[in-house]
Amino acid sequence: MSVTARPAEPKARLRVVIAEDTVLLREGLRRVLTDAGLDVAGTAADADQLLKLVQALSPDVVLTDIRMPPDQTTEGLQAALEIRRQWPGTGVIVVSQHVETEHLFELLADDPRGIGYVLKERVADIAQFTDAIRRVAAGESVIDPQVVSRLVTRPRRNSPLETLTERELAVLALMAEGRSNQAIAEQLYMSPKTVETHVGNLFAKLGLLPAAQDHRRVLAVLTYLRR
Amino acid sequence: MNRWLRAALIAGATVAVGCFVWSSWLPNSQYAPVEVSFAVVGLSFMVAGIAAWQRWPASRLGLLFTIAGYLYLVPYILVNLANPAAWTIGNLSEGISGAALAHLGLAWPGGRLRSRFECGVVVANYVQNIAFNTAATMFWNPAFSGCNASCPANVLLIGNGSRPTLNTLDTTEALVGLVITGIVLTLIVRHWRSARGWSRRAMIPLLWIAPAVGAENILTGNLFHFSALVTYALLPLVLLAGPALFVISTVRARTAGGALGTAIVDLEPGAPPTRLRDALARALGDSTLQLAFRLPDGAGYLDTTGQVVDPARPGPGRAVTPVTEASGAVLVHDGGLEQEPQLIRLTAAAASMALEHTRLQAEVQAQLEQVRASRARIVEAGDAERRRLERDLHDGAQQRLVTLSLALGMARDRAAEADPELGSLIESASKEAREALTELRELARGIHPAVLTETGLTGAVQALVERSPVATTITAVPDGRFPAAIEATAYFVVSEALANVAKHARADGAQVMIRKFPGRLLVEVSDDGTGGARSEGGSGLRGLADRVASVGGVLRVDSPSGGGTRLEADIPCP
Repeated sequence: MSVTARPAEPKARLRVVIAEDTVLLREGLRRVLTDAGLDVAGTAADADQLLKLVQALSPDVVLTDIRMPPDQTTEGLQAALEIRRQWPGTGVIVVSQHVETEHLFELLADDPRGIGYVLKERVADIAQFTDAIRRVAAGESVIDPQVVSRLVTRPRRNSPLETLTERELAVLALMAEGRSNQAIAEQLYMSPKTVETHVGNLFAKLGLLPAAQDHRRVLAVLTYLRR
Repeated sequence: MNRWLRAALIAGATVAVGCFVWSSWLPNSQYAPVEVSFAVVGLSFMVAGIAAWQRWPASRLGLLFTIAGYLYLVPYILVNLANPAAWTIGNLSEGISGAALAHLGLAWPGGRLRSRFECGVVVANYVQNIAFNTAATMFWNPAFSGCNASCPANVLLIGNGSRPTLNTLDTTEALVGLVITGIVLTLIVRHWRSARGWSRRAMIPLLWIAPAVGAENILTGNLFHFSALVTYALLPLVLLAGPALFVISTVRARTAGGALGTAIVDLEPGAPPTRLRDALARALGDSTLQLAFRLPDGAGYLDTTGQVVDPARPGPGRAVTPVTEASGAVLVHDGGLEQEPQLIRLTAAAASMALEHTRLQAEVQAQLEQVRASRARIVEAGDAERRRLERDLHDGAQQRLVTLSLALGMARDRAAEADPELGSLIESASKEAREALTELRELARGIHPAVLTETGLTGAVQALVERSPVATTITAVPDGRFPAAIEATAYFVVSEALANVAKHARADGAQVMIRKFPGRLLVEVSDDGTGGARSEGGSGLRGLADRVASVGGVLRVDSPSGGGTRLEADIPCP
């Protein structure tokens, strides 16, 4: 089997630890990520192992399933919270099968920096997946577009959201996904200036205080959408 | 008592009274009130005797009453017959009815004398009465009363008689009577004091009546001298208290019978045996009543106070009546009650009914508990099965599909450069896998929401609200965790209610409110839709009501037509 070599990153490769109890998936991920130019420093099959690896390897990003042995409930999530507490610099991506936001908000707590919440089927799009890892490593937040879109399209009554234009809604959704103004501008093919105007307008419409920092913005927008 | 004997007794009583009236009839007599008084007293004793005989066939009371009646009237009939022999016999037996009354008082209420001493007292009383009568007759010259040839001859007269001797005899007889009356009254009071329960209460009317009769006996004796009207017409009416004794005891038994019915009706279903005993004792007027049950191992009986009872030896003055063979219960009661077999049977029947009622009640209750428990188990087993299914889906098919997606992603990336056509084929396969994954996720969530097990009601209800197609707000959800069955029930209430809102209500908005109160969880989902939801119909509400009932809760639906729907589940919750 030929391995397609990707251009090496100019800087040091990102060191990633993967926690996933299904062997096939775990090994698949290791391979995909390695192929994508990431350094998979270690893999764990349960939460205990994961914490030990993080302690030993100090990875840049941890990728963990929510459900893991022994109870198959939220061990991965608890491990992610523990990692955030002990090693705040480590980026954490939680891979979930829940479109619902309960776990997401537990994970975000009050600091969404370097946190990702990604649906499991996202692994099929390798480029998008590795992009999420890089963004989290850079301290950004990554919220799965499907989770956000469900929040945005929820039926509401007498909500200021109904007064937003389509453009403003698109900007809002991207903000909720954790995108920066720059990224939003690129994705929506508009100038950063226009993005800023939209952001200002929709914050005013929703009655939210303008937040300069991206991570504050993510939290404010998500909290608003969840109400 | 058979009807021939009764007819004979009635005929005898009628003849006796008829003879008395006939024999003493004097037109325009000043003695008319005396005769009426005698006839009434004698007749009332005889009637009471017949009735008592009928009521207490086994007892001698009927006989005693009847004899007292005859002894009261017959001497006067004989005296009035104007025949020397009859006149003499009449005089000999005059006043012997007083001794019969003393006999009656001492034999009350059982009809039997209690000791040899009392037998002696009664016999001595009869004997002294006849002895004094005989002695007095021997010294009584009919000429003393002013009648000469018109009076019947005194067969026993010694010589011309003697007034002083007669007076001495009369005074002595009165004094002896006083002593005997005292003895009899003392004995009656002792009877009352030693009696318990039913018998003691049966003694109470006698405590009033006996002194009155005793006083009558003394006042009409030779120590006092009232006018003839008082002595012979008014004072004897006091003796009517004797038959009244019978009437009172009859009324009392009847009242007790009626009270039994009321007591059983008033006894709340499932009342403990102690309450049943108290109710029976109260109704019966027998404070000594014991309700005893056979011990399961057959080792004797215990009454409701925990005392050991031996039905073979109930103790002096006590009697045993089995309630029913099946119940293994017995009533131990005052022996005096044996005189009222009807009442005892009634009591046993009442006790048996109440015990049977309690037993059936307990049985139904136990069955109900079993059904409740089994329903709860079925629902819990269903929940567990759903959890297992969801987990199997998650750990099996879902993981495999994710792995497949990953592999397809890799394959696509590699094929894309070399063979774009193959790349797009793999891409569509990958898309299929993603969609299958989404569908599977929805399916698993429908089977059992993992978020409920993981985060409890807060997260699960939030998830339901987020996916509700109708604008829904959460007013309140308690933070804590509750037993799995209760959380699952509350979750299904909200889930089903929101599904109904989306399907039927045509509502603009809905509200979910879950509140915890001491001992219960109140789940409320309301909408502003068209209303008119009915839990009787074939809707999911019926199933939801069953689900809520499985944990002992109640589902209430308030859905006026055009006024929105309010669904409220009241679930017991520790």
